[in-house]
Amino acid sequence: MSIMRLLLVEDNARLASLIREGLDRQGFAVDWCESVAGAEHALKINAYDLMLLDLGLPDGEGLDLVRKLRRAKLMLPILILTARGGLDDRVLGLDAGADDYLIKPFQIPELAARCRALLRRPGASLGTTLIVGNISLDTAERTVMVGGHTIEATPREVSLLERLLRRAGHVVAKPALEGALYSMDAEVTPNALEACMSRLRKRLNAAAADVQIRTVHGVGYALFAPVSTDG
Amino acid sequence: MDKAGNRKTGPTGPTLFRQIALRLSGFTLLFAAMDVAIVVVTYSSQPESLAQELLSLEAERVQSATDTDPDYLAGPPGADRWSARYIDDLGEIAGASVGSANGGRLMDWTRRERIAGGYRITGVRSVVRHGKQHWLLMQFEGDGIRPYAPVILDEIVQHVAVPLIPLSTLLLIFNIVAVRRVLKPLRQAEAEVDALDPDNGFHRLSEVTEPREVNTLVRAVNRALMRLDEAMAMLRSFTANAAHELRTPLSIMQLSLDRLPPGEVRDELQADTQHMTRLVEQMLDLAQADALAPELLEQVDLADIGREVVAAMAPKAFADHRDLQFACHGNTIVLGHAEAITRIYRNLIDNALKHAPGQTAIDVIAGPGPQLSVRDHGAGIADEDLPRLFDRFWRKDRRKTDGAGLGLGIVQKLAQVHGGTAMVENAADGGAVFRVTFLAAEPAKPA
Repeated sequence: MSIMRLLLVEDNARLASLIREGLDRQGFAVDWCESVAGAEHALKINAYDLMLLDLGLPDGEGLDLVRKLRRAKLMLPILILTARGGLDDRVLGLDAGADDYLIKPFQIPELAARCRALLRRPGASLGTTLIVGNISLDTAERTVMVGGHTIEATPREVSLLERLLRRAGHVVAKPALEGALYSMDAEVTPNALEACMSRLRKRLNAAAADVQIRTVHGVGYALFAPVSTDG
Repeated sequence: MDKAGNRKTGPTGPTLFRQIALRLSGFTLLFAAMDVAIVVVTYSSQPESLAQELLSLEAERVQSATDTDPDYLAGPPGADRWSARYIDDLGEIAGASVGSANGGRLMDWTRRERIAGGYRITGVRSVVRHGKQHWLLMQFEGDGIRPYAPVILDEIVQHVAVPLIPLSTLLLIFNIVAVRRVLKPLRQAEAEVDALDPDNGFHRLSEVTEPREVNTLVRAVNRALMRLDEAMAMLRSFTANAAHELRTPLSIMQLSLDRLPPGEVRDELQADTQHMTRLVEQMLDLAQADALAPELLEQVDLADIGREVVAAMAPKAFADHRDLQFACHGNTIVLGHAEAITRIYRNLIDNALKHAPGQTAIDVIAGPGPQLSVRDHGAGIADEDLPRLFDRFWRKDRRKTDGAGLGLGIVQKLAQVHGGTAMVENAADGGAVFRVTFLAAEPAKPA
């Protein structure tokens, strides 16, 4: 996988250098500019995978830049980094066409995780291998490996696991998981999800997988990486 | 805060109505006294007409006593001598010359003469008795003013009481009506002022066109309200701006700390920064909760929002080895602001994570009906803490540095903006239940 190239638009030089340094260590290449004009210029000459955008910039509003780029059909993912955490600010940002909204202050691992999530979005990435703990899932081949050994799994189970892995560390709602089952075939009984999840857990336990699948009653399921690794 | 001194039943000073009524009565009395004085002065300078009035009065009495012999009737008070009789011939009275009988109320003839030790008044009046004309001859001897007392009293009744009593009664009624009318716009303004709530911005008082005095007062109050509004807006935007401006330096602090070599100092500083971050967030949340306009509410589903918040917070709960679960009991469509309700859930769950002990589970429940609740399985809340739990900046133990004591205050404010309430109770089988009620949304119209 090639290195992801990010454009950071932030007028606070000290914060910008800290973000650059942090993301650098997480394996991103970050270009930095301090103004709307600078951002527009950088976007013309370079192709970026993602833009990190502060809202209050010296020569204009970040949201205006988002709208302008979306009108120009530029589909580059945009993550807004802002001090504006008002009740309506997030909705305003997403309505303007941003893909995600992160309120300052934030931690670098969280920022990096959001960036990766945006880059994994359909259309923004190719078929790839998802790795969490000692599990890896090849999204093209539809195979699952635990600790280097391929394990047996039905297409439904692979599909379930894929959804959990893509959102590792987050709760995936039941409807989204059921969607994975429906896409396989038409007949899904009311507790098909529970049954399938239970079989998947048994298989992973049997293969000594170090991830944990937790139930959030009334909401969905979440897959967590082992606690020992950084998270 | 002691609001008792500000209640409606304030000072018990005299009402405007009472003041006017009192003054009016005073003036009426003064006027009556002046009138009496004028009557007395007028008559004492005209003894002839007083004498005539005196005898007229007696003649009336004699006539109204029909058949009794007039001489037996008591004369005016203080009379030294008094006689009254009917006669047919006037010849015996020296000097009396009477024209035609006038039959009216006045005397036909009166004479006042000084005698030793006083005066004598003689008068004749034509009367008709049993269909026949007679002359009533009256003679009176007396001294001083006392015999005139009934006359003067009669005069007072006739000239002072008769016109003044109806007049002052009319004035009093007019006073009631006028005061009511004048005060009505003031009462209305009073009700409007009472309804003012700094939390919801100050509405202006509705202006009245008359009376002009009330109009100018209302306009002056409105100008004062405008200045207050500006001051409140400044205070709010200051809180919001200050919290807002603190976020960038906090980011820098946090990211810089991450570059320090791992160790105890770094961990402590990181915890402090997080505490400060949380405080700033809550200040901003509170400022925004204060400013959230109820007009922005729309139909939202408490269950949908609850699921999202639980999904977002479950990893954090799991990291603390706690179970966070969600249940929906139906009919959860309410009028609300989605982000505000998210904060209500989040603050309540945060509160439960922080205050319920160990690894107990936390239940998040939407419904039944327009309400949500967050239940922990801790020890519950001490009775003495229940009333203060929602106070801003209140904490059970101030020495604990985590949290600013704003979370539940934010929940309460947001509940109020939604037209609902936030409350807490201890569950029968242990643990605290925080409940927030909302207004049910109108049933959706079929599309």
